[in-house]
Amino acid sequence: MPNSNIDIVKILESKLSGKSVQILPGQLGTATIKVAPGDHRDVFRALVEADEYTAISAISGLDLGANLGVYYHVRTSNAFLTIEVEVPKNNPKIQTVNDIAPSAAFHELEVSDLFGLIVEGNPRSGHFVLPETWPEGIFPLRKDVNASEVKQNPPLPEEKSDEGKLVKIIIGPQHPALLEPEKFAVLVEGEIVKAVQPRIGYVHRGVEKASESRTYIQDVYLVERICGICNSCHATGFVEAVERILKTEVPPRGKYLRTIILEVNRIHSHLLTLGHAGLEIGYETLFQYFWRDREPIMDLQEMLTGNRVISSSLTVGGVRRDLKETDVPKIRSVLADLRKRLPFYTEIYQNEPSIRARMQNVGTLKREDALKLGVVGPVARASGVDIDIRKDDPYEAYAEIPFNEITKTAGDTWARMNVRMDEVEESIKIIEYALDHMPTGAYRIKVPRVVPAGEAISRVEAPRGELFYYVKSNGTTMPERVKVRTPTFANIPAFLTTAIGETIADIPPNFVSLDPCFSCTDR
Amino acid sequence: MTNFAMWSRLKSPWVIHFNSGACNGCDIEIVALLTPKYDVERFGIKLEPSPRHADVLLVTGSVTHQCAERLKRIYDQMPQPKFVVAIGACACSGGVFQGNYNVLGGVDKVLPVNAYIPGCPPRPEAIIDGVVKLLNALKAPPAPKTVKEPEIVVEKMEEVKPDAKQ
Repeated sequence: MPNSNIDIVKILESKLSGKSVQILPGQLGTATIKVAPGDHRDVFRALVEADEYTAISAISGLDLGANLGVYYHVRTSNAFLTIEVEVPKNNPKIQTVNDIAPSAAFHELEVSDLFGLIVEGNPRSGHFVLPETWPEGIFPLRKDVNASEVKQNPPLPEEKSDEGKLVKIIIGPQHPALLEPEKFAVLVEGEIVKAVQPRIGYVHRGVEKASESRTYIQDVYLVERICGICNSCHATGFVEAVERILKTEVPPRGKYLRTIILEVNRIHSHLLTLGHAGLEIGYETLFQYFWRDREPIMDLQEMLTGNRVISSSLTVGGVRRDLKETDVPKIRSVLADLRKRLPFYTEIYQNEPSIRARMQNVGTLKREDALKLGVVGPVARASGVDIDIRKDDPYEAYAEIPFNEITKTAGDTWARMNVRMDEVEESIKIIEYALDHMPTGAYRIKVPRVVPAGEAISRVEAPRGELFYYVKSNGTTMPERVKVRTPTFANIPAFLTTAIGETIADIPPNFVSLDPCFSCTDR
Repeated sequence: MTNFAMWSRLKSPWVIHFNSGACNGCDIEIVALLTPKYDVERFGIKLEPSPRHADVLLVTGSVTHQCAERLKRIYDQMPQPKFVVAIGACACSGGVFQGNYNVLGGVDKVLPVNAYIPGCPPRPEAIIDGVVKLLNALKAPPAPKTVKEPEIVVEKMEEVKPDAKQ
């Protein structure tokens, strides 16, 4: 955990004395800070000065009737703060914090698109997440909008833009290197990339709005389907937040079983990416090898949860099925087999000349840039930023399980892949420790279907980094608001920065080293 | 020539994959098909990056408004005859995202679909089975003969025969 001796709440109290700021410790993370619009910039200035790890994890928009709520969820080295600002709905203007904390840029645009917030200093041109055919002036996440009945405009022909002497290369939405539809327009001069213009939103399915019209139990299945790869992490994020509102404690066996499922999920996701990176640099043998060794892990996931891909195993109050004692030797043998293969793969990723040639010194993200852009997960850890939610803000059984946090300092594509390579070994250790120390007793408890009014946040270290959930309940069987901020959404700025100045051929390895997941990004 | 085309189509269907707003679950199962455990290349099925070379379009996802145009365009770029396979509950009917504001709910809202493979996500075996079923369905009715066979005029030939004897 980075600099754990900073007491950020005290610093804020002293710096902001005299301003109309209300600090409520212990709510929505370490503390909730209520400020008037305009003064929130002072809070951010104080935070950025006090702690270099300050980054915006997410910005939640909320429809509060007459007002729009803008909740900035900010992580610092050892705390998690929520800064609440309210603006009137008929004049929803707020000043940007992009110039103080550059990690805000994308989050502000998203709230602007979905809630109609006007961000002064970070204006939106065209839609950000919504399709181009979406009519201007209708904001789907506002409560008074029946979004599924909005009539979309006819599709517009694609504009031809004049880029001067730069050549525009469009990657996507359908492209062999991308498994998912997303568009990146790369402006090049000769071989050198000068700018990257992303267009996200091709996979935007409106999960946040849909979750408001489904019960909490149905929502677990819905949020799992935000991402097929890290589905257990999404389920964990959601049920953790709901359990915090309910003030329920999951039985220890349930926590350990969740930890095992999450780590199996991480191994499968990391093997997938390590193989996919091989495919992107034309090393197809490596791809086939990794995916062959991934199949036993998929079988393991099926044995544990009943499903190969979407596990649907977590539920509010625990997990849905117990671990059979007869399955334990099988799990151990699969993990032992994988462990035997790991030195070979580590050797390849460390020393194979073609890997080093394509990945070393490609897409280097310096530590200060990583902190500034607020990147998360293996991307941050490869640049020497030691953030891992499993250590910093432990959930499930992670507080009791010893494991190493892998960090590298190089910050290039090669370091990012090697962080993942080493994390596979750590995940195996975690599962084995959890099997050795598995508590006995119940694995789930019954919880009421009606959730009392309240709000909670939860953070999960998904394979791609910090996954953030904010859930607000209004005392019924359905949530009032569910906000999801996924790791790739926070990591895309890293690609946009590091691709510039490198060649076109460096784009695929650089891009895949973020382990991009757009179904997460767009939701 | 038609028989030859049909034979090559059945023995080596080239597929293209398009994600029209899926959660990645079906997509990684499609990629898993190419890897050693399932290895569909043994059936001649090859994943082809360009729509212009593909016979079968594998679509996953519930078709978002932003993807619909692109999906149509990819289909239009494919040469005839072409087939569409909807993979997963979302592609079949919209699945868990049915009724959401940004999804159309199913590939058949945009394109004619030849085969539906339900499941969330379908197992790789189910996808193989679906594609093989589609191929068998193509085999069943013989390809309509477009070229008329030349008529043999028997009487005229008989008339010629006496001359040949001489």
